[in-house]
Amino acid sequence: MQPVMDDEDESRADVSGEIRLPATLEGSGPLPQQAEIVIVGGGVMGLAIAYYLARRGLTDVVVIERGYLAEGASGRNGGGVRQQWSTEINIRLMQESVELCRRFAVDVGVNVWFRQGGYLFLARSQNEVARLEKNIALQNRCGVATRMLEPKQAKDIVPELNLDGIVGAAFNPSDGILFPWPFLWGYARQAAAMGVKIYTQTPVVSLVARDGGGYDVRTERGTCRARRVINATGAWSPKLAELVGVKVPTFPIRHEICSSEPLKPFLRPMVSELASGLYCSQSMRGEIVGGVTVPGHGSTYAMGSTLEFLTTYARRLVRLMPILGDIKVLRQWAGPYDQSPDGNPILGPAPDHPDFFLACGFVGHGFMMAPIVGKLYAEWLTGGTPHEIFSRYRLARFTDGSGASQPKEDFNIG
Amino acid sequence: MYIAGVARRLSGHDGVRGDAVEVRIADTTVRAFTDESIAAAALASGVRVLSRSLKYHRPRTFFCLEGHCSGCLVRLGGVPNLRACQAPCTAGAEVVGQNAFPSAEVDLLGAVDFLFSRGLDHHTLMTSSSVLNKLANKVVRQLSGLGKLPDHAVASLPEVQRYDVDVCVIGGGPAGLEAATATARAGRSTVVVDDQLRPGGSMRTDPRTGRQLAEATWQAAASSGVAVLARSTAIGFFPEDDGGVLAVSAPDRLYRVYAKQWIWATGGYAVNLPFGDNDRPGVIAARAVGRLLVDHGIVAGDRVVVIEVPEVTEDATALSGALAAAGADVHRVALHSVVSVKGRSWVSGVVTDRQKLECDIVAVAAIPAPASEGPRQQGCKVVLDPPAGGFKVVVDELGRTTTPNVWACGDVCGYLGPAAAAADGARVGANVIANF
Amino acid sequence: MAGKIVLCRCEDMTLADLEHSVGRGYKDIEEVKRYTGFGTGPCQGKECLAVVATQLARLCKQPPATVPPFTSRPPLAPTPLKLLARDPGAHRFDDDPGDD
Repeated sequence: MQPVMDDEDESRADVSGEIRLPATLEGSGPLPQQAEIVIVGGGVMGLAIAYYLARRGLTDVVVIERGYLAEGASGRNGGGVRQQWSTEINIRLMQESVELCRRFAVDVGVNVWFRQGGYLFLARSQNEVARLEKNIALQNRCGVATRMLEPKQAKDIVPELNLDGIVGAAFNPSDGILFPWPFLWGYARQAAAMGVKIYTQTPVVSLVARDGGGYDVRTERGTCRARRVINATGAWSPKLAELVGVKVPTFPIRHEICSSEPLKPFLRPMVSELASGLYCSQSMRGEIVGGVTVPGHGSTYAMGSTLEFLTTYARRLVRLMPILGDIKVLRQWAGPYDQSPDGNPILGPAPDHPDFFLACGFVGHGFMMAPIVGKLYAEWLTGGTPHEIFSRYRLARFTDGSGASQPKEDFNIG
Repeated sequence: MYIAGVARRLSGHDGVRGDAVEVRIADTTVRAFTDESIAAAALASGVRVLSRSLKYHRPRTFFCLEGHCSGCLVRLGGVPNLRACQAPCTAGAEVVGQNAFPSAEVDLLGAVDFLFSRGLDHHTLMTSSSVLNKLANKVVRQLSGLGKLPDHAVASLPEVQRYDVDVCVIGGGPAGLEAATATARAGRSTVVVDDQLRPGGSMRTDPRTGRQLAEATWQAAASSGVAVLARSTAIGFFPEDDGGVLAVSAPDRLYRVYAKQWIWATGGYAVNLPFGDNDRPGVIAARAVGRLLVDHGIVAGDRVVVIEVPEVTEDATALSGALAAAGADVHRVALHSVVSVKGRSWVSGVVTDRQKLECDIVAVAAIPAPASEGPRQQGCKVVLDPPAGGFKVVVDELGRTTTPNVWACGDVCGYLGPAAAAADGARVGANVIANF
Repeated sequence: MAGKIVLCRCEDMTLADLEHSVGRGYKDIEEVKRYTGFGTGPCQGKECLAVVATQLARLCKQPPATVPPFTSRPPLAPTPLKLLARDPGAHRFDDDPGDD
């Protein structure tokens, strides 16, 4: 799959500001009066869907993002991509997504610096060991080569570890880390080159269902009549859905994250400690990027930073890797985990709204799932057979009694 | 590393340099003084510690000498990424450069700077095939990062100290010290948080105020009962704990400061100006040249070109005069006439639209950019005002920001210069008292 | 020919890089920051935010007062983990070994 738009170093704006490249974002002007599909939400999920739709020939698509590009969770996560999950469906989805991530730079033409250094999960109790072993058995059956390690073996992979209190570890070498923002630039650029129109700084003011199907999507840049609407607003999905009377039972949990000064490369995998939800990895720029789950806080959309996070993270990390004591934190920020009642995502149309589609509830792993979910959505909406995730994870499961029988994902971590 | 002395110490300054010590900088033992920073001592001794820039691998060294620009990062005592301009010279200190220039990698990759003279979009580089892309990923990772892991784990973790005061002033320059003196004299418990080696702010960089005024103002504050936390940086205002807490990092511990009234007097950053090759080693902030001369008695170079903008003409005049009085040859040029600087690993000259000048140092006289990150974090409104230096804090006629109980004074509200900033600090300090 | 005009020293971002970002349609200061990397290095924008914002206003032909700063986040200076680890406000999980 070759990119539609290749970059040439010579085509840039010159000193007078005259633009010689077609811009990715629609800088000014109103929305088109109508579109086959309007995707509300310009994060990685919305843009991936738009990209794959356009690839399959459906280019009459408008993407509407209320803020700047990468303002939501897509621009705030740690870039982790793993196949270590506790449900078969998630494992299989992520196997495909890892492959799409691996090929992204060449397929889409933008570097995402995907590095498969593995994910190392550390257990501090026999309960946690049992949990890891159970998940590993399932992963192995699916063809993912995760294995259980003795603490000493974990230290072979990460020599900086302090093994006090560590009783076991799980390691999958093909899990990885990437740099999130280029996914957005890449998907957006290719989609725009194929005719998709992308609007930023454009909140949706109202959504009105039309007789006979479709919606009027109203913004301050005009109204677009959409035959179908995809709600790709992540943690904000309930708010958009409310506009058409659809109740989405997800809620935002603030997760904070920080990054350190850049260091020469030393840390190979993403390291995570189950007891605290601590995770950290070394980015392609050399920074240690990580977070920890600070308990005792309710749901909020507020994305400010707390001293409690910074000190809790420091305390766990310095205990786990003492050599980092003199390493400096450069910046902390936060993003929303989009929590669903059963830990599984919500996909497919809303009940009684066959033209209103959902893509939320990913509980902090929406970014890594977006390539495969985008591809599957596009295949379905351009006439293909819907993948089982669209029925299994339908919104109606919370009200039609089928929800309780779904296996719950219990490995929603970093 | 080179030994090429363009700088010299003035004998008239001896006696206020502190004790003589020996430090090792980049495998060279140099004579230094305890009042100097490592960066100042390196320059005075002719030891050039050059690193290289991340993308284009260009030679780099210090610029601002105030601990804000990160041009002077070195490895000190086995710890990476420390600012040489904030590290005091202590006997036996051992400093090593990072990402050293020149090096084998740079000789190869320095071609990047030349080949991509108009810039390089690293986002799309080497995406045409998966083989090339894998190689690009490997190379980029190996080249990434500044310092290596520390030599040792930390022996013990320091305790956090709590500070409860009526008034917390962030910034110990002319405005901050005057504001704090005003509130302390009125009986309010006051703490000043200042991030430099010694408080005094821009008074230590300006020949018109001089070191003596900095010392006197600091003394006056201390005598009035102001607690001064030196080498301490306000790292964040967090709205936790009812009324919020200001976290302050000092070399040996963290402070949690709780105050009833907050005064931001953080001044402005010494920033660069946009002209060709403005990142060349030897192109340094005019205020840094001033600090070296006024605070350290070091002439940065005997052939100086000052590149200036009209708004800071008086400051540039004062500095140029002081350099000339110290025996340096000074040329002043307007920014708009500058085409480029010359030199590879150190500046050798400046090309303007009318002439070519040779020099050892280029002093960049820009309008200091208001240091408004802290107020922004406390929710204060700022506005971009280029003639004022940048994002200045919006204040009313009393000095109140848009956040209750939060005030601002001095250059952070728009560049004033040290004398006017001091008056502004005194005025706002009085208003804060009236508010109690 | 004039050499590179460096706007962000930490991340090696030039005026030409800024023009390139604007040319691609990324004109919001937050988008420019992410696309060019300016302000994401060790100085976190202290040296470069004002000049980049001013140049951005010029390139987009809009008044400087309409360009907001990017979000200011803590810590305002690089802070060693060791200073934070013993804070009484840090959450102690069940397996916390306590302070010595």
